Amino acid sequence: MQQGASVPADIVEALASAERRARSARRRRLLLGIVLPLLLLAVWQLSGRNGTLFGGALPTPERAFHAWWAWAFANPSPGLNPYLGTWFDTVIFSTIRVAKGFGLAILVGVPLGILVGWSRVAAASVDPTIQLLRPIPITAWLPITLAIFGIRDFGAVFLIMLGAFYPIVINTTQGARDVEKTWIRAAQMMGASRLDVLLRVVLPAALPSIFTGLRLGLGIAWTAVIVSEMVAVKSGLGYVMWDAYYVGRMDIVIADMVSIGLLGYLSDRLIVLLETWALRWRRIQSFNG
Amino acid sequence: MGSISFQRVSKYYPGKSIVRALENVDLKIDEGEFVALLGPSGCGKSTLLNLLAGFENTSGGDIAFEGFPVSKPGPDRGVVFQEAGLLPWLTVWNNVVFGPKVQKKPREDYEARAREILTLVGLDGFHDALPAQLSGGMRQRVGIARVLVMQPRALLMDEPFGALDAQTRLNMQQLLLDVWQRLRTTVLFVTHDIDEAILLADRVCVMSARPGRIVENIPITLRRPRSIDDLTSPEFIQFKARIMKELRSHLAEH
Ligand SMILES: Nc1ncnc2c1ncn2[C@@H]1O[C@H](COP(=O)(O)OP(=O)(O)O)[C@@H](O)[C@H]1O
Ligand SMILES: [Mg+2]
Repeated sequence: MQQGASVPADIVEALASAERRARSARRRRLLLGIVLPLLLLAVWQLSGRNGTLFGGALPTPERAFHAWWAWAFANPSPGLNPYLGTWFDTVIFSTIRVAKGFGLAILVGVPLGILVGWSRVAAASVDPTIQLLRPIPITAWLPITLAIFGIRDFGAVFLIMLGAFYPIVINTTQGARDVEKTWIRAAQMMGASRLDVLLRVVLPAALPSIFTGLRLGLGIAWTAVIVSEMVAVKSGLGYVMWDAYYVGRMDIVIADMVSIGLLGYLSDRLIVLLETWALRWRRIQSFNG
Repeated sequence: MGSISFQRVSKYYPGKSIVRALENVDLKIDEGEFVALLGPSGCGKSTLLNLLAGFENTSGGDIAFEGFPVSKPGPDRGVVFQEAGLLPWLTVWNNVVFGPKVQKKPREDYEARAREILTLVGLDGFHDALPAQLSGGMRQRVGIARVLVMQPRALLMDEPFGALDAQTRLNMQQLLLDVWQRLRTTVLFVTHDIDEAILLADRVCVMSARPGRIVENIPITLRRPRSIDDLTSPEFIQFKARIMKELRSHLAEH
């Protein structure tokens, strides 16, 4: 322990400067990452100034931004222009649908995945069905969903749930299947019941894979919400996007696209944050060899 | 309490050619006896221990623990695994009280004992550490502590010190000797290390492979309490010479 005090000053200095170099290198890489998007935006903006980009079909980033600003902050004008001051409501509609569908997908997918990964009987009776249904893309489920649920919220929520369900159930299954045999045996040896083994061993051991499934599922949930709002309901970012396209408001379409990207990114960060917290035991490094 | 009996126990594994992991094994272990199972790797030591633990079913024969047939794992037979097998997301403390907790024992029944046992195995001040923060030897101390806290009537240990460096292994052997001197539970200790078998056990059962069976029973009459200093005593060397001779003769048969 007294070694700390006696490390020569030049070595301390060398270590510190190595760390400084590493930090500035990290900052350079971050800056480098921003260069390309900025460049693309600039080219887009400059080439679209005379309003003829793709025959005038594509507005400049500047116009899209102004459209978004009005969409978000202008006073709503009843009946006349739906793209004034309605952005927050629209975002909330879509977000709530994603939350509902994604939440249902977790509620069904995680327990089912644990069961299928853990019990051979459950795997034999459920896995083939999942594998058969999975190749049907959620877009192919649209007509039948509309036929059953009509133009109502639950149709959209159902499609989101379905889309998010597959990656969640499949990754959870994988995680539950790969649990170390010794952990299960140890728990049984200590008197754990089957339920204890599931909840106290298989579930925590599968958590890393579950989170992989959640991130994939959430991505699909955002895809699904847009698709289903385009057809199945009359609100939300997907509905607005299609509507704006029909009335030729490409600036709104672009603003809508960026909004979706942003929401997808932010919700993914949220999951990652949750993951870092739930799996903090995995990052703790051995300090004892 | 804690008596163990194997009667003509066999275990076969299916495959292209059937693996005769154990064939007609007879073994009796008295209450409070410390038996070491010694043999080369692949001779069926783990298989024998796993059958007694209830992790696997026999292909034939009878295994009884305290006179009753073994059907499933349970806290009466505490198992210590080679790589400790701790739950990596639980702290040392939560690993150690996992058993009493899932058995729904009231806290006051086990918390004091858990603290005492953690002190006994030298893990005071590590209650909140995670397994990944511990050395191999410390992890194995937790593996032993979580078993002791359940007050099992037999300890089944499968090469528990096999993955440790020589110095740490000696420390752990001394620790086990001290613990056993106090508790005197029945122990079935699997090892491929001759010194370890002699140092710890009242009796060394030598196994040979293909088919796995017990070929020799050698009582170790070294005085107790023992310590790792006994490793160099003349009596110890005599036992070692004898066991090495047995092992050689069984190797020669193949
Ligand atoms: N699950 C299994 N399936 C097939 N063969 C196995 C299985 N477990 C063990 N064996 C075989 O049984 C024999 C004994 O194994 P084991 O009991 O692990 O030996 P030891 O612990 O003495 O090294 C070995 O030949 C091993 O390959
Ligand atoms: Mg083994």
